[in-house]
Amino acid sequence: MQTNFSLTALADAHVSESEKILRACVHCGFCTATCPTYLLLGDEADSPRGRIYLIKDMLEEEKPATPQVVEHIDRCLTCLSCMTTCPSGVHYMHLVDHARAHIARTYTRPLPDRLLRGMLAKVLPFPGRLRLALRVATVSRPIRKWLANLPGGAQLAAMIELSSSFKRRRPTRRLPGATVDRPRGRVALLSGCAQQVLGQNINEAAIRLLTRHGIEVVQPIDEGCCGALVQHLGYESRALDAARHNVDVWTREIENGGLDAIVVTTSGCGTVIKDYGFLLRNDNAYAQKAVRISALARDITEFLHELPLQDGVRTTGQVVAYHSACSMQHGQQVRDQPKSLLRRMGFVVREVPEGHICCGSAGTYNVLQPEIANRLRARKVTNIEKVKPQIIASGNLGCITQIGAGTRIPVVHTVELVDWAMGGPLPDVLKGCLG
Amino acid sequence: MSKIRFTEPNREILARRDSIINDLTRLVDPAGLITSTDECRAYETDALTAYRKMPLAVVLPKTTEEVSAVLKYCHDTGVKVVPRGAGTSLAGGAIPSEDAVVLGLSKMNRVLAVNYDDRFIRVEAGVTNLSVTAVVAENGFFYAPDPSSQLACTIGGNIANNSGGAHCLKYGVTTNNLLGVRMVLIDGSIIDLGGDYLDSAGLDLLGLVVGSEGQLGIVTEATLRILKSAEGARPVLFGFPSCEGAGKAVADVIAAGIIPVAIEYMDKAAIEICEAFAKAGYPLDVEALLIVEVEGSDAEMDATLADITAIARANGATTVRESRSAIETAAIWKGRKSAFGATGRVADYLCMDGTVPTGKLSYVLAEISKIVQRHGLRVANVFHAGDGNMHPLILYNANDPSQQSKAEAAGDDILRLCVEVGGCLTGEHGVGIEKRDLMRCQFDDADLAQQIRVRAAFDPRWLLNTDKVFPLDFRCQG
Amino acid sequence: MTDCYKPRDECGLSSAIKDAATAKMPLVVRGAGSKSAMGRPLGGYAMPLTTERMRGVSLYEPTELVIGALPGTPVSEIDRMLAKHNQMLPFEPMDHRVLFGTSAEPTIGGIVAGNVSGPRRVAVGACRDSLIGVRLVTGRGDIVKSGGRVMKNVTGLDLVKLTCGAWGTLGVLSEAIFKVLPKPARSLSLGLRGLDDMTAISALTAALGSTFAVSAAAHIPASIGSDSTTIVRLEGSEGSVAYGSRELARLWCSFGLPDLIEGDESANFWLRIRDAHWLAQPMDRSIWRLSLAPSKAPRALADIRRKLGVRYFYDWGGGLVWLAVVGADDAGASVVREAMVNTGGHATLVRASSEIRRRIDVFEPLPPAVLKLTQEIKKSFDPDRVLNFGRMYAGI
Repeated sequence: MQTNFSLTALADAHVSESEKILRACVHCGFCTATCPTYLLLGDEADSPRGRIYLIKDMLEEEKPATPQVVEHIDRCLTCLSCMTTCPSGVHYMHLVDHARAHIARTYTRPLPDRLLRGMLAKVLPFPGRLRLALRVATVSRPIRKWLANLPGGAQLAAMIELSSSFKRRRPTRRLPGATVDRPRGRVALLSGCAQQVLGQNINEAAIRLLTRHGIEVVQPIDEGCCGALVQHLGYESRALDAARHNVDVWTREIENGGLDAIVVTTSGCGTVIKDYGFLLRNDNAYAQKAVRISALARDITEFLHELPLQDGVRTTGQVVAYHSACSMQHGQQVRDQPKSLLRRMGFVVREVPEGHICCGSAGTYNVLQPEIANRLRARKVTNIEKVKPQIIASGNLGCITQIGAGTRIPVVHTVELVDWAMGGPLPDVLKGCLG
Repeated sequence: MSKIRFTEPNREILARRDSIINDLTRLVDPAGLITSTDECRAYETDALTAYRKMPLAVVLPKTTEEVSAVLKYCHDTGVKVVPRGAGTSLAGGAIPSEDAVVLGLSKMNRVLAVNYDDRFIRVEAGVTNLSVTAVVAENGFFYAPDPSSQLACTIGGNIANNSGGAHCLKYGVTTNNLLGVRMVLIDGSIIDLGGDYLDSAGLDLLGLVVGSEGQLGIVTEATLRILKSAEGARPVLFGFPSCEGAGKAVADVIAAGIIPVAIEYMDKAAIEICEAFAKAGYPLDVEALLIVEVEGSDAEMDATLADITAIARANGATTVRESRSAIETAAIWKGRKSAFGATGRVADYLCMDGTVPTGKLSYVLAEISKIVQRHGLRVANVFHAGDGNMHPLILYNANDPSQQSKAEAAGDDILRLCVEVGGCLTGEHGVGIEKRDLMRCQFDDADLAQQIRVRAAFDPRWLLNTDKVFPLDFRCQG
Repeated sequence: MTDCYKPRDECGLSSAIKDAATAKMPLVVRGAGSKSAMGRPLGGYAMPLTTERMRGVSLYEPTELVIGALPGTPVSEIDRMLAKHNQMLPFEPMDHRVLFGTSAEPTIGGIVAGNVSGPRRVAVGACRDSLIGVRLVTGRGDIVKSGGRVMKNVTGLDLVKLTCGAWGTLGVLSEAIFKVLPKPARSLSLGLRGLDDMTAISALTAALGSTFAVSAAAHIPASIGSDSTTIVRLEGSEGSVAYGSRELARLWCSFGLPDLIEGDESANFWLRIRDAHWLAQPMDRSIWRLSLAPSKAPRALADIRRKLGVRYFYDWGGGLVWLAVVGADDAGASVVREAMVNTGGHATLVRASSEIRRRIDVFEPLPPAVLKLTQEIKKSFDPDRVLNFGRMYAGI
């Protein structure tokens, strides 16, 4: 597509990168067909092609973001379905990240929105604060309907609703990692920030799986949030800080003992870690190190898939609907490995109709855009239930939470099922329906 | 730099913008009315991005009744209307004008009825082409027209452009697969043409509406013929060391009385582009590639393919490779159908759509490469060879104004050539704004005058998709 | 002053029409006249204009599957020429001589004017689907072309479709170009005996909803023969027809064991279906042609039969019903039209006395908005109303 940037604008590395992306777009419109918000809303401005066009205009004119542009960019789930569809190779993710940073710089959000986003950015990446917040949420549950009527209250209410959907769990703490005798490999397992609080069982299963196969697991004590949450909220510099911090932590591990992989059990985080190389490309001190870290990042299913796997020990054959998280299938293009692992363990894996469409979770999206998120969840659950599964498996905590709030069918992480099949404990949510 | 002119917007309409918008708020759901500059901007172009015009406003109705109310209003107050489906036109068919309201059908995307006994499906016009097949596929049926943009393009747009696709060699184009429409005329009246039966009553207005590029009315519902899918389908790749050999093979296959479901052609440039994207296993060491698809039972396919292979070999085919799995078949078609978009990875392009008699394919291909060279540009050819529908992609740099005009001049020369050898300007993309000023190459004044009179029978005030199809200086005559 | 225009070429055609338009002299346009008794009788005197001297194949490229002909060319001449290259007009045009008792060979111009098709229409489309280009002379005397010789063409408005089936009310054809198909290597029929209408239509629906090379599907109820015949024709390569007939017999197992009908027997049977042979005699019966959704046809017929004495049969898998009405001074119009209102579809009074055709709508009446468009279109082609004025609808 033709672009029209001034030479001075192109001197900015971000702008010149975005210009390259825009030049590849031929405006063919294929992406509109697989975009969840376009499917629901039918407005070009709520499609990838429309957003690209709005971003192009905003950046070309070097103008501050307008409320209209912000509204349509905010509605983007960053599911990246468009990138899977795009024949021209348009890197929408990098373009929309740039747009979000531009919005953060040039647009003052209304106060309630600002407070909410600030709170999400200050709470979610920090396990201690998140635990506290969940307790507050539980206490405020009775007033959520009243809250919903305040400016910005709908989002707050959604957050409370969502947090109360978490089952009461054991007190959690950071997992220590695990050593094995004569290890066959050594990996760092990302602790994840929200996952530490809400889904510790996932990494416990992952550690059992890895050690069972002779893989030593390290969980560096000072590892922080991957940066995905703040990045999608538009806090670019905080995201870069998070990336630099983790690059340092993992580089230290590489230098002290070596790493075969950085294994991730939350595909949303995996997508961003695999992109560190790009994020830090203009930082001379970090560019090379970041490329090395990105190259080591693997989703747990990718990593397991490459191992000579042990056989399962339990009676399987249950019908599992596999829900591929967007960050998994579109962000990382990991498609077959999770299903093939489950099949290998003897589960009957069913493809979900419209499997390429987001469930509405999308990081903090279900808090910030509850209406669209709820419609997408309903659509997703309807599609999942069409294949009549006994269990739903997914590789991302956000999706597990989102879908779990809309169906009675139990939702578990893929590795929990694989671990159980190999002799691990039965995941809590399956107690009573499997045994 | 760019050659295509637009009419001057009507100042009186522009001056009334606020009151028009105010009136529209009473006619459509608020979520379906778009008026801010930023949001309207998303509608200023389609897939012919070299041209852009901001619309006066955009309406996205949800029902035929809303469409009717908007059209009646526009008719009564003299406001132009530009219909829009998915905005995938390569000919600028959905490009607005500043004094026009864009009426988009993207919110009208429901499936209304499926009837397997009578083999039809009734849908709203904003449903995408591919999703029609997706609905009926579970019962082994499909909707035949399959334009390359079928993932995104709408049935309404298909009707407006009489869309074809790779498989229309056997199954025909939109007009042969459409049983009926509900449409709204510019004065707001709602009419049904055809229905769930064959051949409509009275004059074939249904046939007239197909391919009329949104100038006769706005189709809001369509009844489409669905067919049972063949038991199997198998594409075969034939690589040729020369374009002539491939062209001759196409003619010989047809002459032998074999009608495959599809015969698609790609030249070297197109093969490289598509292979890079789809990794379909296209041979890279050939000058031209034919994708020939046959369908039926295994025995039938084997027999037909043996005949086709013999013809291809006699014409010098060096590579013959059958698809061995559904995954391979999908990759082969994904590569072909993404050809235009994938070209975006290497350059900007203008996509031509002329159709020529199949006997002239080799000659026209050779002339195309001369024309494009003469203008100092490159070309990639990927097209439906079985029916002579060519899609030369003229590669250029859109950020270089001189290249833009060279590419357009080359495109004009190619289309004139198509008409000279007995073909036409456009096989399935429509005239739009792109080929409007070339219409006189194909039609004389009497032809155009009659078309314009027919158009006026539907839209006497000339309000629907006005700057398209007919040369700007022609409309007032007749 | 002549009493009949017989132009030899397009120019002559154009000047004849211009003369007539100047003189406001209505014309009745005909080819060979094989179905001139179809349509509304023109009111008052109209000068005949015949295209019978404009004949000959103007273009034939067997390797490109196209043929063009002047309007007065007999269909049989085109068939013979195509047969030399083992090709055919796909839509299997009906020959109206059987119904009308006429003798002159039907011309291709007449076929286009009536959008005349036959049994294969259900599989490959009607005349209008094979017609890819026309030249015509409008009521203004203008020579207008639309479409061309290539199969895909969306350049400008599709006046080809508009011309096809307009019964010469918009313009007089001066050339027609068709896409053609290779003749199938093999053709045979499968027939079931003794089915009632409802069951028969289900059997035909199953066949047409299959992939077994079905090119035609008809049902002749017991009221016509001694026993009912439900028949489909398979066409294609040797292999596909053999395979299809085997598979179809299996698909039909719940309907009975089908007879295999081959060669001339099969061909002749389909000729009789194409030309509505069984209804032709006696000649004083009015004949209707109904197009409707196959699944609704048996019930519509049951309705009609309760109120009218009729003989009938189904083609197009049930989507086309031929109906001969016994008695009824309106040719059964009130009953037939009411049935069509209930089911959707359209009915054409193909044969009736001119007295009845003067009183009764011959073609399906149009809703007001569509009629208004039709009038405007007529005006745009033929403002002086010289061409077959009133043959389709009053005022058109």
